[in-house]
Amino acid sequence: MAVEPQSPYDLEIRNVSKRFGAATAVDDVSFKVGRGEFVAVMGPSGCGKTTLLRMMAGLEGMSAGRIYIRGRDVSAVPVNLRSTRLVWQNYALFPHLDVFGNIAFGLTLQPYDRPVVSGKVKRMAALVGLTEFLDRRVGQLSGGQKQRVGIARALVTEPEILLLDEPLSALDAHLRLRMQGELRRIQQQLGISFVYVTHNQIEAFSMADRVVVMNKGKIEQIDPPEIIYNFPKTRFVASFVGANNLFEGSVLSHDGAFTTVETREGRLSVLAGDTRPAIGEAVTVVVQADKLTRQPKGILGENTLKATLRGREYAGSQNIYLLDLPTGAEVKLVAQESMAVASRTALNAEVAVHFPAEAATIIGYHRRPPEAVADISEAAE
Amino acid sequence: MTMAAANTIIDIEPAARMRTPNDSPLKIICLAPTLVWFGALFAVPLIALLWAGFWRVENYQTIITFSLENYEQVAANFFAKSRYGLALVQTFWVAITGGIFAVAFAYAVALAIVYAVPQRWQRLALLFAIAPFWSSYILRVYAWQTVLSKNGVVNSFLKMTGLDWARLDVIFTQTATRIGLVHYLAPILIVILYVTLTNIDRAVIEAARDLGSTRWQVFKKIILPLSGFGLTVAGSFAVIIGMGDALCGALLGGGAGQSIIGKVPLFASMLISDYASATNLPRTAALATILVLAMLLVMWASFAIGERVRKATAE
Amino acid sequence: MTAATALPAPREPINRWKIAGIVWLAIGYVFLFIPLVVLVLFSFQANKFPALPLQGFSLRWYEKLWRDGTLIDALGHSMIVSPAAATIATILGFLAAYATTRFEFKGKSLLAAFLALPILIPPLILGVAFLGLLARVHLSGTLFSVFLTHVVLITAPAMVVIQLRLAQMPRSLEEAAWDLGATEWQTLRKVVLPFALPGILGGWLLAFTFSFDEFMIAWFVSGFDPTLPVAIYSVLVAMIDPSLNAIGTIVFAISAVALIGIELLLLPYVTEKNVEEE
Repeated sequence: MAVEPQSPYDLEIRNVSKRFGAATAVDDVSFKVGRGEFVAVMGPSGCGKTTLLRMMAGLEGMSAGRIYIRGRDVSAVPVNLRSTRLVWQNYALFPHLDVFGNIAFGLTLQPYDRPVVSGKVKRMAALVGLTEFLDRRVGQLSGGQKQRVGIARALVTEPEILLLDEPLSALDAHLRLRMQGELRRIQQQLGISFVYVTHNQIEAFSMADRVVVMNKGKIEQIDPPEIIYNFPKTRFVASFVGANNLFEGSVLSHDGAFTTVETREGRLSVLAGDTRPAIGEAVTVVVQADKLTRQPKGILGENTLKATLRGREYAGSQNIYLLDLPTGAEVKLVAQESMAVASRTALNAEVAVHFPAEAATIIGYHRRPPEAVADISEAAE
Repeated sequence: MTMAAANTIIDIEPAARMRTPNDSPLKIICLAPTLVWFGALFAVPLIALLWAGFWRVENYQTIITFSLENYEQVAANFFAKSRYGLALVQTFWVAITGGIFAVAFAYAVALAIVYAVPQRWQRLALLFAIAPFWSSYILRVYAWQTVLSKNGVVNSFLKMTGLDWARLDVIFTQTATRIGLVHYLAPILIVILYVTLTNIDRAVIEAARDLGSTRWQVFKKIILPLSGFGLTVAGSFAVIIGMGDALCGALLGGGAGQSIIGKVPLFASMLISDYASATNLPRTAALATILVLAMLLVMWASFAIGERVRKATAE
Repeated sequence: MTAATALPAPREPINRWKIAGIVWLAIGYVFLFIPLVVLVLFSFQANKFPALPLQGFSLRWYEKLWRDGTLIDALGHSMIVSPAAATIATILGFLAAYATTRFEFKGKSLLAAFLALPILIPPLILGVAFLGLLARVHLSGTLFSVFLTHVVLITAPAMVVIQLRLAQMPRSLEEAAWDLGATEWQTLRKVVLPFALPGILGGWLLAFTFSFDEFMIAWFVSGFDPTLPVAIYSVLVAMIDPSLNAIGTIVFAISAVALIGIELLLLPYVTEKNVEEE
């Protein structure tokens, strides 16, 4: 075997862009995937995440940039010679072949040894739980089983990286939850890297080691899920991830550990970050919906806003409230409480909402994230 | 740090542009055979046909020149002797009236299938209606000959049942030609009109009924206007096919069949008999060119009408 | 509950339009099927002229058909030319359908129009045009010239049917094969061809039917080796011969087999498509 340049990364995307005519689908994107890492690429539809994945697979050419797989430049390698495998949203199974034929497809393209192929297929079928379905036609399978075939068909060829394009979005909620666990198990068992494209943050957060958030062809933030959730770096991430309330304003003063921000909704006191914005700078304050609480009406203290209850949704043990502020802005409040508690407040009633200063942050000026979730790619650099 | 060095080594070799699935040699490999075949055996003969109209025949030898002799001959005989002009008028007359009958018949059948046949039988009813299309055209024409002829199936049946006074004397008239044409065209027209009618939203019809329209009003005010474009397409299709058809005119119209215009053959039949008797290819080519021009005229007219109808019914 | 069952169901008012529609449909079917019924019926009757009354069952016209041999020979010619032309047309049609389905290129719709043109131009004109060309290269008057020209005529129908099928193939299917390491040729052979197979068979049958029934062009170019429709025509203009009924019945049987084949192959996915549209 030829001596390959050793790289600690399975995949490296370097300054990759893709233009379709005048439109730019992917705009100067760079990131790295470490050995055996599970990376989710997340963003709204049309953000360029699928195009990026297709460029990794070699199904789409690049307008600029390079892609390296384990240190080898594969930018000019056509799709069928790349060591990546793709798992499709619509499964893309071969309808004229049975489950065995589908899984064996990639192994039978070169001269092959029948017992070897058969052994590999059976082992892979066992790994994904398809052993008793090997002689079924793919049309007879359920959605979950089809996607298992799609995954097995890709993994049996021993790819260096598995690319997954919204693989669970065609499944129902229950099955999606089960498959998330299984995907993570398979990934850890085989120890290969997964690049997982999705628009669903629950999937991304529950499986990935790191999440890449994309918008309009650009990367907004790359971090482990907890960091993205708690410390969104940009306004887009704050609005796309979780249930966050955003308040626009300008910095009024710094006061020890706190910063005061003047907003249309009122003066808000916010925990200061490691670096501080200049006085007068326009900033956005983020408060997670579950950090808001309802206050008895009339007591208007710090970070307390008058609001009108406009909508209420019972979601089992928690209640989700939609409230209008006098300025017309809308806030969301999530409370862990019973339905009985919630129904005490009538719709369209005047209430007050409050959040502690410690629960609010200014986008772009965060505190240092906890040490436990250090980013491995940053460590390597 | 070590890997950055490794990457620079790879960077020395500039990456070639990746071949994407759209630039594959298969694109040309797949299209070339068809294009060559069509070029040699379709485009070339058609162009040659236009050209051949200017050739001449002398002493049974075709001479490749550029002469207007054929067209002059045709023009000289337009209303005299061979009467090409009358044949052209006859063609328009028979094709247009035949087309109208065919569309009316097919529209009524399509309406019956869509609105009178229960949903689950509709497809079968349609299949049944288009089945004759798959049988040999010349045999269908022959069969019509035996049905319509003087002592044919219909007349002998009438004689048997004592209805001799009602006997049908249509064979070798342009009426018989039209019967053959309607039969030939009906399956295709039924499909076109069936598709048109199924594309009319049933909710619109139900809404009209709900607003108090009678069934006749629904037909007049909803279904008929909404099938306008389909009717135009079907009509122009019928006329164009009818103009190019030679079999019905020859076998049912008997060559020079009687019509209001008189005992004049269709242009297509004339073209065939002209070729069969004289084997003068240049003159046949000239006649074919004239027929093509006439058909282009109809196509242009029907396109203009179709656009108007489409605009009128578009939302 | 009991009260409800006791009430007689209200009778739906009789819809006169519906009855009129069914009656018209019945008349329409009679008109459409009369020639076919007459032809088949009289092929098995002793009548010398197809007229009533019937003179009883007889196979004499089939015997005569066999003894004469001309029409049977012509049927033989047709059974050589049409399958051969259908096969080549299907191959050309498949390749063109694949290229237009898979690739993006300039002038794609122009190409589709060009390939469909032979069906739109009346066969009479095409016949003259083909003859003009083939006579110049001394290829006219043989079965081979019928084959050459029929391929042009029937490639478009075959192609349309195959396109219909290929349009149902998700783009990701081919991409999946490439992604798993297959070359384009392997993908074509192992994925696209099996997927397109019903369309290919349906296209072949359609092309065969078109060629088998084609009269006008064959009349111009076939010469001394007439195909069946041409031979029928020459018998037809000469005299009334009930063996035509016999050969007609045989032809209908062949067409019917092809037709049933087409329906069985095409209908499932034509209806599938309609369901999606609804």
